[in-house]
Amino acid sequence: MYRSRRSRLIGLAYLAPALLFVLAFTAWPLAQMIWMSFHNWSLITPPRWVGMANYQRAFADDQFWVSFAFTLEYTAIITPLLIVGGYLLALLTSPSSPSRRLTRTMVFIPVVIGLGVSSLLWYWLFSTDFGLVNRALMDLGLISKPVLWLGVDADRSNLAIIASVTWKVIGFGMILFVGAIQAIPTEITEASLVDGASYWQRVRRVVLPLTLRTVLLVTLVSVIGSLLAFDQFYIMTAGQPQNETATSVFYVYLNSFPYLRLGYGAALSVILALTILVFTVVQLLLTRRSHA
Amino acid sequence: MTATVELGRARAVAARRRLRGRRRSGYLLGALCAAICAVMVAPLVMSVLASVKPTEEAAASPPTYLPHALSLDSFERLWTYQQGLPTYLANSLGTALLTIAFTLVLTVPAAYALARFPIPFKEVVFVFLLLALIVPYQALLTPMFLMFARIGLTNTLVGLAILHTVIQLPFSLYILRNSLSAVPLELEEAAITDGASSWQVLLRVCVPSTVPAIVTVALFAFIMSWNEFLGALVLMSRGSSFTLPLILAAARTETSLGGTDWGMLQAGITISIIPCVLVYLLLQRYYVSGLMTGAVK
Amino acid sequence: MRSRPRWPILVAAAALLLAACSQGTDTPSTTAQAPAATTSCASNGELTMWERSGGNKQMVDMLVAAWNAKNPNCKIKLTYIPHTEMVGKIAQGIASGEVPDLMGMDLIYAPQFEDAQQLVDLTDRISAWPELKTASKGHMTVATFENRLYGVPLYADVSALFYNKDLFKRAGLDPDKPPTSLPELREYADKITALGGDLKGYYLPGNCAGCNIFTVGPLMWASGAKIEAAGPGDEPLVGDGVKQVLQFTRDMVKAGNVHEGDRTENGETFHLQFGSGKVGMMGTGNFNITLARQQNPKMDFGIALLPGMAPNSAASFIGGDLVVVPKGSKRVDDAVNFMKFLLSDEVQVEVYAKALNLTTRTDMVDNKYFRKEPLVQDVAKALDVGRTPYTLTFFEQINSPQGPWLKMLQRAYYSDDNLDTVIADAKAAMKTIANQ
Repeated sequence: MYRSRRSRLIGLAYLAPALLFVLAFTAWPLAQMIWMSFHNWSLITPPRWVGMANYQRAFADDQFWVSFAFTLEYTAIITPLLIVGGYLLALLTSPSSPSRRLTRTMVFIPVVIGLGVSSLLWYWLFSTDFGLVNRALMDLGLISKPVLWLGVDADRSNLAIIASVTWKVIGFGMILFVGAIQAIPTEITEASLVDGASYWQRVRRVVLPLTLRTVLLVTLVSVIGSLLAFDQFYIMTAGQPQNETATSVFYVYLNSFPYLRLGYGAALSVILALTILVFTVVQLLLTRRSHA
Repeated sequence: MTATVELGRARAVAARRRLRGRRRSGYLLGALCAAICAVMVAPLVMSVLASVKPTEEAAASPPTYLPHALSLDSFERLWTYQQGLPTYLANSLGTALLTIAFTLVLTVPAAYALARFPIPFKEVVFVFLLLALIVPYQALLTPMFLMFARIGLTNTLVGLAILHTVIQLPFSLYILRNSLSAVPLELEEAAITDGASSWQVLLRVCVPSTVPAIVTVALFAFIMSWNEFLGALVLMSRGSSFTLPLILAAARTETSLGGTDWGMLQAGITISIIPCVLVYLLLQRYYVSGLMTGAVK
Repeated sequence: MRSRPRWPILVAAAALLLAACSQGTDTPSTTAQAPAATTSCASNGELTMWERSGGNKQMVDMLVAAWNAKNPNCKIKLTYIPHTEMVGKIAQGIASGEVPDLMGMDLIYAPQFEDAQQLVDLTDRISAWPELKTASKGHMTVATFENRLYGVPLYADVSALFYNKDLFKRAGLDPDKPPTSLPELREYADKITALGGDLKGYYLPGNCAGCNIFTVGPLMWASGAKIEAAGPGDEPLVGDGVKQVLQFTRDMVKAGNVHEGDRTENGETFHLQFGSGKVGMMGTGNFNITLARQQNPKMDFGIALLPGMAPNSAASFIGGDLVVVPKGSKRVDDAVNFMKFLLSDEVQVEVYAKALNLTTRTDMVDNKYFRKEPLVQDVAKALDVGRTPYTLTFFEQINSPQGPWLKMLQRAYYSDDNLDTVIADAKAAMKTIANQ
């Protein structure tokens, strides 16, 4: 609609505030972070140029790989849970009846509280001696003595955290899927009904393909979020036992704050960001191709 | 004539049978929905109940489900904690409102520009603005802190709000751009032929049509800012500037020498949750449709 | 600092001596010449102070309140920083120039900041103070770097062996004869665990690095071993004591002398354990006296020194906080006056001792409040055999939940890994950290 050269300038004028803001407060700190990654700096002593040493160190650092592997493991387990679970919930709650709408509202409530608060809440629930999870399991007779959920065994801690994050976040995917499902034109749904297909056949052949784009988008967002996970681990296990539950970002935090190895933390961030970038590009290419 | 009647009767029978089947599975699904609702809401309810237990009961092991007595002890402790809860609430609220303001002021025009104007390298610019999504913001905190220290923004709500806006901007821009793209062109063209400038078109046509998306953006900005912890910790070094999440973190090492004050923790969790849930329930109808249209593109 | 005239300090010191000699109560109108010698505002205006959370908050609040009561013109505004973030926050503050006027710091981190020259050198101002001669050795060691002084004690914690006299009696042990060596401790623990029920003879925190250096570290010291690497090139974990103590703890766990839940203890419920009455003996700190009494008023308990392998060997961890002045502080004079205030006789007795906290001066241990509390006197004995680790990388080597110290202990307590390997691994890791 706006085609003239003048309108291009107007457009830039509208864009300018956001652009300047991002340049000043995102791009500039990012550039500084990259600069930091080539130095050794503890904040209380002057920075020292070390070239690629931090990057080389990362690849030789056991903890870096442990964190990376753990982050991947966490992402690999929680993503299917969120996508499949969210999709099933969406199928359940997409009809417009009041009960379904109520369910949709309830499932979404955990999404609107903060991740930090949610983590504290589940930190309490999973507490060995003070938490309700152990109490309930014992009352139900499923366990005979309290389970040490958090901070002792990496896998069990991972499961507990995954449970809490799933509870919190599944509503987000669900709502987006509901939107996509409800956007399917009614003629198509009716046509498939006449064909006599069963419910699940309909889902597989009609609903799913038509909502694929949303599924891929939600998967992308979910994976990025999981790769960058920090809050829940900081609060629920603090990386215990022995940094086995320290995600990549948690390790970045450790280096940037208590360890005062800012250069190394910055290098780790760069590596992480590049990994995510590569992954995002791959995912977007897949999405494009699926719509060719 | 009879053939159609017969067919009609057969259809009615089939329909009734389907209806009966559907009713049975309807009960089952209804029960499922109820169970899901319970699972989702139970942890929150338990937390609120725990916050009104008297102190000793809150610290009891094994824990009780329902409070045996009601007491506002924990809330009292939270209220008078150090600089006092009202200070922290005010800081959190102030930062959240500023974050919403900054986010909207920046992203609505930008989304409008990206959706409607022939910006050179539009896609590149768009991706650039989404940059903050892939970088762990924890590593950006130290450079930002040093920058803010030089320009005097540390210990200020404005500084913290800027940080929160940085985090929130990509998501907001994405939602708003999709949403503005979906506004029917005819509306805008009609306004233009009436002689409106682009600014008037934005304010009078586009914004009203994208209220759901704007509300969504505002709500997410609020939730994010209200709950953000690490940035607040880095930027604030005066107790009087602390926000609510910092106090929650403190509750974990609050009893003498590093023990957890469970009661106060629950009270803090309850206070943190209530505004978010209330705002959500009140603005739900905008918000849900905002997400659904804003993201499904 | 040399350019500042020393007269105000000398006058203050003189007035202090006068005040100490005369046993009168503090009256503001005593002498106009030395206006409240122990408590004076060098300049007016609010003082900002940081202190870490998770420490002895009550004590610090009381001290600040006492100062504020006497000095309404230069009140201290205290901000508590989450202790896990303290080191980072101080570094950021110094790098950006936004530092508090003074701060309380976990004493164990002092050498690191002194080495980086981020604390104000106070030697010329305070080294002549007589009070410092009897101030806690552990504190003053870490407050010193290359013979320069950087701070004074804010409060002191020591670790000791608390034992439940009721359980001793039930197990047929003499309640006035606590164990004096680790083999004896083991014997007693076995007997108490044999009582059954939910009772155990001992306690080992399984997920808390700080708790362990506080209560298990002294066992190694008492057995003649050395733990931390002080700096680059220094050798950590030296001495047979290390392996002996690790073996001791492993055997304890295997013999079932500790609760299974101990394994998750990350420090947040450590102070509640002894007061539960279910533990026969436990290494813990002086703070646990009041806590245990509040938790379990009827429990009869005693305090002994943490023993080593050999009979009558003992050691203790002197912990707590220092008051230091960060570089860039604009109120160094006031900060120093606050330090004087803390070390003054009156504050030692009427604030520290009255609250049944340890006095930071050993010559003040004999006071009217402690005389009524034999337990406090017992625990104060630990100050004599106590020490504080001195290293530039304490957090990474020892206090970090992800560090080699905790890892070594966890392997010793809960796995069957060969102890020599376990110790060698930890040594290597600690050396790497110290050599950075």
